[in-house]
Amino acid sequence: MTFAEYAWLIPIFPLIAFVVVGFLGNRLFKNWEGGAPIAIGMTAISLVLSLAVAFEALTTGTGTPFIQSLEWIVVQGGEFAFTFNMGIYIDNLTALMLIVVSFVATLVVIYSLGYMHEEGEKKRRYYAVISLFISVMLGLVLASNFLQMFIFWELVGLCSYLLIGFWNTRPSAASAAKKAFLVTRIGDIMFMIGLFVLFVGFQGNLDFAYIFDNVDAFVGGNELLTFGTLMLFGGAVGKSAQFPLHDWLPDAMEGPTTVSALIHAATMVKAGVYLVARSYPVMVETPDTMLVIAFIGGFTAIFAATMALNNTNIKRVLAYSTISQLGYMFLALGAGGYIFAQQPEFNVGYAAGTFHLMNHAFFKALLFLSAGAVIHAVHTEDMRLMGGLSKKLKITSLVMLIGCLSIAGIPPFSGFWSKDLVLEAAFAGIEYNSLFILLYAFGLITAFMTAFYMFRLWFLTFSGEPRDKHAYEHAHEAPAVMWVPLALLAILAFGSGFAFLFGFESTLVPGLMDFHPHEAGPIDLLTAVFTNVLTYASIAAAVLGIGLAYMMYKKRAIDPARFTSGSVGKTLSNVLLARYGFTKGYDWIGLKVVYGTAKVVDFIDRRLIDGLINGISAGLIRSGNFLRRAQTGFVQSYAAVIVVGVSLIVILLFLVGGVI
Amino acid sequence: MFENIPILSLLILFPLVGAIAAFMMGRSPKAAKYAALAFSAIPLALSTLLLTEFSLTGGFQFVEKYQWISFLGISFHLGVDGVSITMVFLSTLLVFLAILFSWDVEERLHQYMGLMLVLEVGVLGVFLSLDYFVFYIFWEVVLIPMYFLIAIWGGVNRAYASIKFFIYTHVASLAMLLGIFALFFTTAPLLQADGLIPADAIGTFDMLLIADVAGGLGEMLQIAIFGALFFGFIVKMPVVPFHTWLPDAHVQAPTAGSVLLAGLLLKMGSYGIIRICLPTLPEAAVDFQLIMAVIGVVAIIYGALACLAQSDLKKMVAYSSISHMGIVMLGIATLTQLGIAAAVFQMFAHGLITAVLFMVCGMFQHKAGTREIPMLGGLAPKVPILSTVMMMGFMASLGLPGMVGFLAEFMVFTSTYDAWGVWVLVPIATVALTAAYYLWAMQRSIFGELTTKIDTKHLHDAYWFETVPLAVLLGLIILFGVWPAFMLDLITPSIPMVWPLSGVI
Repeated sequence: MTFAEYAWLIPIFPLIAFVVVGFLGNRLFKNWEGGAPIAIGMTAISLVLSLAVAFEALTTGTGTPFIQSLEWIVVQGGEFAFTFNMGIYIDNLTALMLIVVSFVATLVVIYSLGYMHEEGEKKRRYYAVISLFISVMLGLVLASNFLQMFIFWELVGLCSYLLIGFWNTRPSAASAAKKAFLVTRIGDIMFMIGLFVLFVGFQGNLDFAYIFDNVDAFVGGNELLTFGTLMLFGGAVGKSAQFPLHDWLPDAMEGPTTVSALIHAATMVKAGVYLVARSYPVMVETPDTMLVIAFIGGFTAIFAATMALNNTNIKRVLAYSTISQLGYMFLALGAGGYIFAQQPEFNVGYAAGTFHLMNHAFFKALLFLSAGAVIHAVHTEDMRLMGGLSKKLKITSLVMLIGCLSIAGIPPFSGFWSKDLVLEAAFAGIEYNSLFILLYAFGLITAFMTAFYMFRLWFLTFSGEPRDKHAYEHAHEAPAVMWVPLALLAILAFGSGFAFLFGFESTLVPGLMDFHPHEAGPIDLLTAVFTNVLTYASIAAAVLGIGLAYMMYKKRAIDPARFTSGSVGKTLSNVLLARYGFTKGYDWIGLKVVYGTAKVVDFIDRRLIDGLINGISAGLIRSGNFLRRAQTGFVQSYAAVIVVGVSLIVILLFLVGGVI
Repeated sequence: MFENIPILSLLILFPLVGAIAAFMMGRSPKAAKYAALAFSAIPLALSTLLLTEFSLTGGFQFVEKYQWISFLGISFHLGVDGVSITMVFLSTLLVFLAILFSWDVEERLHQYMGLMLVLEVGVLGVFLSLDYFVFYIFWEVVLIPMYFLIAIWGGVNRAYASIKFFIYTHVASLAMLLGIFALFFTTAPLLQADGLIPADAIGTFDMLLIADVAGGLGEMLQIAIFGALFFGFIVKMPVVPFHTWLPDAHVQAPTAGSVLLAGLLLKMGSYGIIRICLPTLPEAAVDFQLIMAVIGVVAIIYGALACLAQSDLKKMVAYSSISHMGIVMLGIATLTQLGIAAAVFQMFAHGLITAVLFMVCGMFQHKAGTREIPMLGGLAPKVPILSTVMMMGFMASLGLPGMVGFLAEFMVFTSTYDAWGVWVLVPIATVALTAAYYLWAMQRSIFGELTTKIDTKHLHDAYWFETVPLAVLLGLIILFGVWPAFMLDLITPSIPMVWPLSGVI
């Protein structure tokens, strides 16, 4: 017996929670936290099974994936024989994702017990949908083919829509939910086109196992395949909120903070990175696509980081940091794939992308849930109304500090290891394409900015004097159901990076393709990292960022207002707060272009087409007044007309037929 | 075990008997209601039986053929294949649920119920008949009850809408009739030459016999006949610019009428193309391929854009039908087995989904007293069942996976890509538009702050006779979404029957 054979049950358990909590009515769960115990229990069972499956795959894995599938649709015969399967595909990447998703999800649901306690009857809806969210994300991770992945991909989108709009009586929440769904749907359209290209190119087979082993069997040439992979990446751009489809993610902060934590750390936005990592064997065949991925990733990283610099909403800062960190992952994957096309020994990019995905999941979940604990305590998301909270929220301030150190990339916190690897991959690209000089610079500057805005956030929230006395007086540390998950995440945010020293690279990579793993021990790896000049460059960037934040927001040696006074500073600051005009741009396209066209179509419909029709009929009625008399209102007379008509036709037929 | 039972005739007969019975129950309209429900339940049971007994090998099954007017070659010829059985099941299901949904109708109840059953007779006749003459009669039969349903039980502007509906579809029927006559006369010599009909016969109205030989007609003649038939069918579907009868008819029609109009009557048009135009005149179909594709794409985009501009919920749903039937047209236009099978599946999917949508619109009218979106707002906490159903219906209609509409759309677009490459970008862009108008409508009607423009104190959530049909429909939407193979296995083997000359292209 192997655990992998039961892996299909992993998404089933949360699905059961969804059905039970969602459909068995309010009365049953009234005194039961809206069904929270069921959601927690089922997610926890998934976690245990996920860990078992992942452990098995990572330790006994031979590099060949475990595959199990059922035929979902079989179409036989003729030119269009094809089979769509539903199945599971477990390799080391799947194992990694299973651990990340189910672990973070379980902690988030437990944490919700405290965070969502005061939501009353709405809790049941919350626990039902969040269970479904977890279920479909696990389904996405386990999918054995592109179509199945797309199906779960869309369902993940639905759940995020429902959860971002959870407080649906707030107009802003309903609007943000809609925006998230529509903007990601633009990406989904590209994903679909990518699927068509693969479906036709691989003659009706979308199974990972088949495509990865038979990339050469693609019909249509490399240009078409490049187009196809580019379109697949388009799906990832929407889902993972990359430039230019990034603007939905800051708005998505309208959902409960627990949902933000889940979306940013484990589900939804991670799906895009997972898609690229999963399709790597196809993607590396198209270096041009890889270059685009690297560029979009690198640009998004710095672009999003700038918007976090002066935002005062604690959740928005974290949202921008997510976009930026996802950019890092794409930068690494893209650079790695681009280099791989020319030097099939190079695995740093792939390892860096997936490694950062894992580390980011832990520290970002930690940061969001800590932010949730702060919001829970002071009932505001505005950092201008916080300050000095470390005295009241001792645990929260400590764990959040760990999260900040991790994301800033201070050794030995987890973010350091993967960020370093990301930058190393980007730097390695310079040898092959000078564009990577720019991308590496973007990455390094982003590291500086990240350290700055994260510590700005920490200092504004926790240090100094309270700026809102009333909120400060009422602030209280989170209950144990909230801080225990935080503590667990803090341990991982500190320690998950050490996986690098114990063979993360060599474990994850061989499952994918014929890489030659480094058989290097921890000491060798450690030496390699700390003898590299690049490492010190990235550490320096982080330290500088923290130092600047310290000078500005702790020591107050540099007045932050200096940067927003003066016309240039003011303009720049406003541009950042206006998100470079993207929000307005989206609205303009939606309202003016699309809705405007719709109004034109409506005019054509009412005035032109119907106007013409009504004009003709009015003319006819005036001349004959025929219809008015014809409409007698009796069934019999209409029936008579029909009978007479049919008889006439028969007679006519007979006559004409006779003539012939 | 059912060989000796004329199951298809019974399918048509039961609603007919039920209709007559209902019309005669003027003294106790309540009884007419129960009778109608019973007489629509029997065909539903029969068609379900048909589904289970249908052999997956394709071809026409349960065929019945009775000579009727033999000197004109007219016979009462019925049969089902994978395409028609799908439509037959949909018809019996929707009529049954529509009758149940009309449980609180009071005005002229017995006539209402009678007309619903007459409608079922007509629709089933269209989907079952394999004889042009019988087909045409049933086609016309459908018009009458729908006309009265709109004209008697309709809204304020019902006279205009019902007459518009009647004239539009009647003119289209005439074009179709011309096409049928042309087929009848021109194929007669070919049939005689092949010995398929006696040398002294005038001709035959048998669809299958005509389809056997019509490929031998001259190309210009084929195109002309195809054009006449095609025009008749596309007005019914409907496609731009012959569609404006549809929004008016829907806005005025009672809810059950709208359900059947969008769920079944529109399907008659696309069914006609698949059953008659393609297999009978395949060469002309190839000539018309591009026209069909353009018509389909225009309908998809135009319908979706028009949806976005509507403030009446029901009018929006009506335009969404135009957009979704455009997808059917696009699938047909690919002239591939995959595309046509997907088109049929989309017809089935749209039938289920649009029924939910029109029921939702009807409930808004009923409960809130208005369907004007700007008047609504924030109703989700007040009417949770209605809101949930609305959301599920909208999600199904925008093609969410796990629901029946997704795979149909996906397959149509796949075959579109196969046929025309990246041109698929044009129709597929509406996938975002569709999501936009649905989500925007939800945002304004059930989310946000509670409206003060209408009295929301006495809002009543769904009644049992509304919840039950909706639950059945949504259950099937999810069932066939998760298990589409059940329907696709029925449909696909029959596509080569419909389209025997795919090698022609």
